[in-house]
Amino acid sequence: MHRTLQQSLKLGWVVIGLLAIMTVAEFIVAISFEDTVMLFTLLLIVGLAKAWLIIQYFMHFGQLWGHIADVWRGTLKDDPVADREED
Amino acid sequence: MTIHVPNVNHRFDPLTINRLGLWLFLVSDASFFIALLSSRVFVSGTSTPDEINQVLGLSLTVLLLLSSLTAYRAEVAAENNDMSHMKNMLLATMGMGILFVFGVGYEWYEALQHFPPSTGFGTVLFTLTGVHVTHVATGILTLGFVYFRVRKIETIGDNLFAVEGAVKWWHFVDVAWVFIYPTLYLLK
Repeated sequence: MHRTLQQSLKLGWVVIGLLAIMTVAEFIVAISFEDTVMLFTLLLIVGLAKAWLIIQYFMHFGQLWGHIADVWRGTLKDDPVADREED
Repeated sequence: MTIHVPNVNHRFDPLTINRLGLWLFLVSDASFFIALLSSRVFVSGTSTPDEINQVLGLSLTVLLLLSSLTAYRAEVAAENNDMSHMKNMLLATMGMGILFVFGVGYEWYEALQHFPPSTGFGTVLFTLTGVHVTHVATGILTLGFVYFRVRKIETIGDNLFAVEGAVKWWHFVDVAWVFIYPTLYLLK
């Protein structure tokens, strides 16, 4: 999806805001829970959510699928022009 | 018999190959971090020493998250050919990265007094933060190289992937810290 400059910059602030909220939540969880398994599970969930935000919106993970599809199609399909040039 | 090997360079956009190659590398590097993170439980259990500096850990986290925002803004500026903003954001990212390195240095100074590398938790802390700060340092160097390369040009041109690649690497370093922080500071 193509975004305008303003939309992209706004998205950056929204993502960093969510990351800040989750970091505070992480800290509150850590001081609130004594049970190790529960704490580990909650911290893992928050960590995965934070990582997903960064990977999806800052690292543009979504565009990767298009590239994989390109390579998949290109590898399976014969390209006579390129092959002739190579010969 | 002739073996015919297709030339992939004729078939794919170089950007496709560059991005896939970078992601492949990031996934392989992530597996290294996963192994190190899991070693925390095996080497020192889940307890965290009371002496660990929580304020410093939280500050380092905030610093790295903020640097991800400036890195993102540098990439957005590059895509929109706003060279001045891009350079400023690259410099801000590198600045915060350098502060992060100093913060980890101070963490090590404190850690040496309370849990040296000979202890279980010390082993985990020095290994995890050591490997991570090496990644941060290479990120700073890469961003510095990109800044040096683009500092005098007026349009981004063929250098867009250089900015994108360096910024992606920086975000990867941030993602790694997202898991290192709770593993070292918050578990009990």
